[in-house]
Amino acid sequence: MEDIELQSLWQAYDKKLEESKLLNMQSWALNMQCFEDLQKQKAKSKLNRLLPQKFWLIIAGIAWVLFLVFLVVHSLTFSKIAFAVSIGMIALITTIAIVLYIKQVVLIKQIDNSESVIDVQEKLSLLQASTMLSARILFLQSPFYCTWFFTPTWIMSGDWGFWLIAVPIALAFAYVSIWLYRNINDKNMDKKWFKFLFGSAEWTSVIKAKNFIEEIEAFRQDKV
Amino acid sequence: MDTQHNKDDFLQLIEHNKGIIFKICHSYCPNKNDREDLAQEIVYQLWKSGHSFNASHKFSTWMYRIALNVAISFYRKEQRASNTIAFTEMCMDVEDKADSNLETEANIHLLQQFINELKELDRALMILYLESKSYAEIAEILGITETNVATKINRIKEKLKEKFLTHNS
Repeated sequence: MEDIELQSLWQAYDKKLEESKLLNMQSWALNMQCFEDLQKQKAKSKLNRLLPQKFWLIIAGIAWVLFLVFLVVHSLTFSKIAFAVSIGMIALITTIAIVLYIKQVVLIKQIDNSESVIDVQEKLSLLQASTMLSARILFLQSPFYCTWFFTPTWIMSGDWGFWLIAVPIALAFAYVSIWLYRNINDKNMDKKWFKFLFGSAEWTSVIKAKNFIEEIEAFRQDKV
Repeated sequence: MDTQHNKDDFLQLIEHNKGIIFKICHSYCPNKNDREDLAQEIVYQLWKSGHSFNASHKFSTWMYRIALNVAISFYRKEQRASNTIAFTEMCMDVEDKADSNLETEANIHLLQQFINELKELDRALMILYLESKSYAEIAEILGITETNVATKINRIKEKLKEKFLTHNS
């Protein structure tokens, strides 16, 4: 099969489409009324919706962190050390997530479909990879919700409830959150626990984003 | 682009380029039911991006960039469906109308199938090549160098020829 034959086949495909009137499938696009409806319908597209959503999450996140910092500053005493450390860690992890969200907003603002395919797809994949990373990072704060009420008095009292219930629960949360942080990746996307956490179709491309970034880089560099 | 006149011009452009929009939809949307959604999304994004069109550039470059970006993003979201469904559906679509040249028809199906088996970016490259775009325009649409375009096209063409040979032997 020569080059010219490939292109002739493609042209024959064109002709075939015309003959078979399959293009009428797009007849809606030629109807002004439909087009007006389409504009209204699509005005709230996913990426458009994502921007205010992320914006409000950032505002809420900043307010939450300020509140947590206020609590930490007002509890810097030995008796409230566990509280200060736990709340401080939650504030720190939330701050990292907020920084990622800000980066995502910048990326969303930069996405312009009329730029080159490689640039747009890379930005979209970076956005998806960042979404995944923020989800992983947010899991890391869960053990600190189990430790903020610890006090030195309770620790030193030898209370069995502390050593047999509170500590194991905190350790279990720590183990699970670190395990999730390390295992939420495309290699595990077919596992049951993964589907339970990220079951919706929306996550499919998000999970595969890292691979696609590598694919884009290889395409740009002309690697096979 | 917010006057009736602009809308009419825009719809005329869509009418003129509906063939390529259709072929891009076919190449990136395995599910027949979702294909119309993709076509709508492409038309909407073209309309929405109207302000970004710079008259000093070719209209086709701008249009292909938007259509391919929307299609690839759509495809990546909908990857759950298998390619096999797509090939069958595509074949059924075209077979609806009888054609005396059965060999050509079979080869069109094969070409569609082989193109759909390519990776997203290689597929975009091949569609542009088959649409007889110059290497310079393909490079501009995709955002890679002309040398890179030439190397990749040769490699993919070889692959396609090999597949045709294997299939026909």
